[in-house]
Amino acid sequence: MKISKQLRTDITGYLFIGPNIIVFLLFTIIPIIFSLVISFSNWDYTQGFSNINFNKGMNYINMWKDEWFTKSLINTIVYSVSLVPITIFIALIISVLVDKYVIGKAPVKLALFMPYISNIVAISIVWVVMYSPYGPITQLFKSMGIKNPPQWLGDPHWSLLAIIIMSIWAGIGYAVLIYTSAIQSLPQELYEAAQLDGASGFQQFTKITIPLLSPTTFFLITTTLIGSFQVFGQIYIMTKGGPGTSTHVLVYYIYTSAFTFFKMGYAASMSWILFIILFVVTLVQWKFQDKWVNY
Amino acid sequence: MKKLKLIAMMVTVAVSVFAFAGCGSKSVVNSQDSSKKETVTLKLWGAVPPEYGPQEVVDNFNKEFKDKGIQIEYTRFVNDEQGNLKLDTGLLAGGDLDLYMSYGMDTLSKRASGKMAMDLTSFIKKDKFDMAKNFGDVIKNYNIDGKTYAVPETLTNSGILINKNMFDAAGIKVPTSWTYDEFRAIAKKLTKGEGQDKTYGMFFNTAQQANYAASFIGSALGGDPYYKEGGKESNFDNNAFEKNLQLTSDMMNVDKSAVSHIDTVTQKLTIEGLFLSGKTAMSLGVWSTRSIKDTTKYPHTFMTAYAPFPTVDKQPAKYTVGGLGDYLSINPKSKYTQQAWDFIKWYSEKGSLPMAKYGRVPSSKNVDKAAVLKASTEGAEKLLDTKSFNNIMVKSYTNYGISTITNKSAEISKVFNEECESVLTKQKTTRQAMQSAKERADTLLKQ
Repeated sequence: MKISKQLRTDITGYLFIGPNIIVFLLFTIIPIIFSLVISFSNWDYTQGFSNINFNKGMNYINMWKDEWFTKSLINTIVYSVSLVPITIFIALIISVLVDKYVIGKAPVKLALFMPYISNIVAISIVWVVMYSPYGPITQLFKSMGIKNPPQWLGDPHWSLLAIIIMSIWAGIGYAVLIYTSAIQSLPQELYEAAQLDGASGFQQFTKITIPLLSPTTFFLITTTLIGSFQVFGQIYIMTKGGPGTSTHVLVYYIYTSAFTFFKMGYAASMSWILFIILFVVTLVQWKFQDKWVNY
Repeated sequence: MKKLKLIAMMVTVAVSVFAFAGCGSKSVVNSQDSSKKETVTLKLWGAVPPEYGPQEVVDNFNKEFKDKGIQIEYTRFVNDEQGNLKLDTGLLAGGDLDLYMSYGMDTLSKRASGKMAMDLTSFIKKDKFDMAKNFGDVIKNYNIDGKTYAVPETLTNSGILINKNMFDAAGIKVPTSWTYDEFRAIAKKLTKGEGQDKTYGMFFNTAQQANYAASFIGSALGGDPYYKEGGKESNFDNNAFEKNLQLTSDMMNVDKSAVSHIDTVTQKLTIEGLFLSGKTAMSLGVWSTRSIKDTTKYPHTFMTAYAPFPTVDKQPAKYTVGGLGDYLSINPKSKYTQQAWDFIKWYSEKGSLPMAKYGRVPSSKNVDKAAVLKASTEGAEKLLDTKSFNNIMVKSYTNYGISTITNKSAEISKVFNEECESVLTKQKTTRQAMQSAKERADTLLKQ
């Protein structure tokens, strides 16, 4: 039998990507499909595969009656909606300031970037100390004359805010890094022309820098939002969802359902809801980008 | 050029084939091992760090069974969610793990129903291993559906740790029975100072689990305090819950004689960090004996005494909180179940004494109580009050409250934890919290 040259080239190609595809199938595609299948079942993984009982999508219906789920969803949304704009706004300001006024930018940028590349566990433990009643933050409040400073992680009204502040600090370096690189590549002619026309520094910032940075902003909003919906590490280390359910977020509840309650099917169905939320939000952002993003 | 391509192709194929053949070739080696009938090495998993007893147990066994061809290797897992997940995965994956400990009847029954624990009944019958004689009549309560899936190796008792030097200085005797009111008054009396130099009366260790705030309910309600009607309904409307939580929350927030929950959580306070550094006169955590004896890690000079849990009124406690723990099971997928059983038998009959040195009291009746007490307190005569230690930790009781219901236990514990927390952080009154706990738990049980 004669194999055509085209086919032979094809086979060679497939063989080269073969190992990669097999690993990708085994560790990504198959788990994704499997999670979709079990999301329609009650499955306690300690009971073996024979114990997968399908329940006609009841997981997707019951979760909306589950207080833990709804509370986690609300907390996650509050977390993301406050974290993303604040991070991006502060990062933008810092980047412009660093670009304009700082001599020796590299050490400053590195210092800002350090938390992002540090281990979240280490960061979380440091912040537990920072927030503790004898820690620097509480002491600062006291020295400013506030008699009863917030108990941060111990108080259900403050705990989510405490996590948000810490997460902004931890994530801002990344946004600053992206922004500063983008700012450096902005065309200088525009600024020179604006200066000749008598535009003030603030006008240059709002009329030139912000519009020109909009693709970067769009990229940062999309990625930070996806990342913030998946917040887990700091919650697991710092509060375990407490006090009460005040910092209970979606991924933490998915983890709890799977590994504390052994409800794999239910956990999988919540993961799919998380996926759908992120997918829709990203789609909407994509759809509306031409309204404000200038390429 | 063509040749080069062909070689590259072959290498790629070879790599991908061998990468997935790894598991197969390993099992071939194993079966060869067993056919030669050489020494069998069993893998034992437990949560106690090896230096706190298990290594000595294993060494003793290995010396005795060298000629009989059985050796044991000990691996420690941390008894938390992740550690147990690691153990479960190991058990589900296959026979690389022969013996393991479960801590808590809910984990054991989970493993038993998931075919991760072997039914030991046939071994027990074959060897005429008399469970009742070895462990007392109480043992039958540890069967699951009438079958024995594990042998409980430790006697777990509960009580309160007492800094005897502080008690002596205040002229208070170590109590052998006390009421909530007496307990509260003593804690208040022993509270001194302010701010970071404050010495507290009591520490409830609520950072680990908020429901430690209601530790004493077991003496009134037994081993399944959360349930009534055989697990069909939750029991949070029983006023024992309200009374115990009220006591704790009053001590934390009114008397300020106990370390508050907020302080405990925000500073991640531990029994070792607080009690062993002399910052509290009393604490939960009789399981910390191994830390008390470890003066290099936790330097201290005071003597620790033990007291039982206080009771609501003068009536003696209906149940003793505690029972048998450290459930030793065999992995049904193990290739050497007979040898694993030989270890269990040896360990239950005589092997567990070294564990006593670090506060794990053997449950076996064959181990002499005097020897246990001696091993427990040896070298720590100035650190442990022998008399009260014997009374609380070594003695076995007949009225243990034993957990038999596991219906949605993880979810219900979480509900209860959250409601306890809402009381301790003053979000709700005890009554509101327990009403809400009752409603939420009942909804869960109806599902």
